Order: sequence, then C-alpha cells, then structure tokens
Amino acid sequence: MIQPQTHLNVADNSRTRELMCIRVIEAMIKEAIPNTPLERLEVIRAVIVYTRKELKCDNGMIIRYDDNATVVIDQEGNSKGTRIFGAIARELRQLNFTKIVLLAPEVL
Amino acid sequence: MISDIVNVIFYLGNCVLLVNLRRMRLEKCWFCSSTVYPGHGIQFVRNDAKIFRFCRSKCHKNFKMKRNPRKVKWTKAYRRLHGKDMTHDSTFEFERKRNRPERYDRNLAENTLKAIKKIDKIRSDRASDHIKNRLKTGKVQRQKEARKQLEQGIHLVKAPHALAQDSSLCLPKIKVNVSQAQTEENQPMEE
Repeated sequence: MIQPQTHLNVADNSRTRELMCIRVIEAMIKEAIPNTPLERLEVIRAVIVYTRKELKCDNGMIIRYDDNATVVIDQEGNSKGTRIFGAIARELRQLNFTKIVLLAPEVL
Repeated sequence: MISDIVNVIFYLGNCVLLVNLRRMRLEKCWFCSSTVYPGHGIQFVRNDAKIFRFCRSKCHKNFKMKRNPRKVKWTKAYRRLHGKDMTHDSTFEFERKRNRPERYDRNLAENTLKAIKKIDKIRSDRASDHIKNRLKTGKVQRQKEARKQLEQGIHLVKAPHALAQDSSLCLPKIKVNVSQAQTEENQPMEE
C-alpha cells in the first residue's frame, strides 16, 4: 500500500532512481542519476505502475508485482522517460495513461 | 484458435449493447501446470518482467517458499520428469500457444469445438494407458509374491471345507420355522 513517505522505484528511463511519495498525487525525487535535468528533492508527478500489494482487475485477474514502482509523468500525464521496463497492467489505459501503455513492452 | 475481440456489438432485440470484452485465454499454472481459468488465481510479475501464473494459493505459497516444482511430487512437472505421466504424444501438438487472433468463422469454430472434445478423449485415453502400463509390472510382481507367500505358508491356511466343519470358527446354524405366507388382505394395524 503506497502512502506518503513510501519510497518507490522508477520503472522508466527518466534518470530518476527512487522517489518518495509525499502526497497521493505527487512524489519527491529522493535519488537521481547525477548531471541530469531533474534535480534531487524536486517535486514531480509520477504514476504508480507496480505494487507489491495485489491489484484486482475487473476481469477477475489478480496481479502482484515484486516491487513498488512508478513512472515519472508531467502535468498532462505523459511519461517523461522514453522507455518503460516491465509489464504494465491494463488498467492504466482506462485511467488515460495511454502513452505509458504504448511504451510498455508488455501489457497484462 | 483464440478470438481477440475487443469490442463486440450485440443486437439485443432492437437495442444495441456495446460490450468491451477482454481477450480470454486459459493459462497454465507455473507450479502445478493445471489450467488457470479467467477469474482464478494470481499473477506475479517479477522484476525481470517474467510473469508467473498460479491457479490457487497453494501453488502461490509453494512458489513463495521457493520450492522447485520439479521436486514437488504432486505437480505435473515432477510427474513428467519422472516418467509417471505421458510426455511425448502427437495430441500435445494441438495445444500450442497461438498469438495470432483468427477471424471468427462459424464453421471453423464448430469444427474446432468438436475436435477439442475428440482430441481430449484420445489424449486422456492414451495417458491412462500409459499409467496402466507403468503399473502393470508392479501388479505382476505383487501377484508373484502373493503366490510365493501362499506356497510357503500353506500350512497356515485352513481348507474352506475344514473351516466350515470347525464349530469354533463359524456361527451355529439355527433352524427357524417360517410361518405360513400371510394373505394379501389388509391386516388391521397393530395397536
């Protein structure tokens, strides 16, 4: 369950490595690869794509990931990175994160 | 043949229903190899994006315990590995995973359903024959051993005729007089 202060991994190549959730909408970069446009301790938006807690899809499928991970997005909901690692749940398409779903190598 | 229908329009009487159908696929449980029907089980996505599907929590928990299905006796993986179940057969060729969706054709669908039934029957017959053949040698062995035991221990066995004669071993035979058959008239109930 993701709460404020939860540290989350980042599943795309947007040069951030780890985020901390500060609000359910926004997250703060805790750790970033140096010399990148994104600064440490910058507040950004991210969408959670993997949870260790099971996610129940409306077709009855239950998915659990090994990790809690996010994808960094901008204000409109487009991902900041250009690649996404790992399989993404189909629910993201319904929540209007179509760009992320398109980038994903596999959609469950 | 698996239809990957995303939007299907049903005409129900004179109203139109737009239904968003997900693709449905029968998966195999990673641990025990049984089929996972939609709505059952849990899928676990590892960090290397490998997806593990489990049919029930038993398999899921075994996986979490890091057990190797090839060593767990009740799984199909173990049984196939140790020759308990049939491994090579032409009926398995029909069940390959197909990723190209096929356009719905009524005849094709009908024939496929018939074929599935028949192939299933053939496969299960062959599988049970395999098991029967495997157990045959054991049965023969047991009969041989039983015969040997009988020969060796014949002095312990009492002949059936002698058993009947021995009054300590059977119940005494009592003669019972059967009353005459009652007439079919309705007898008044005993108070």
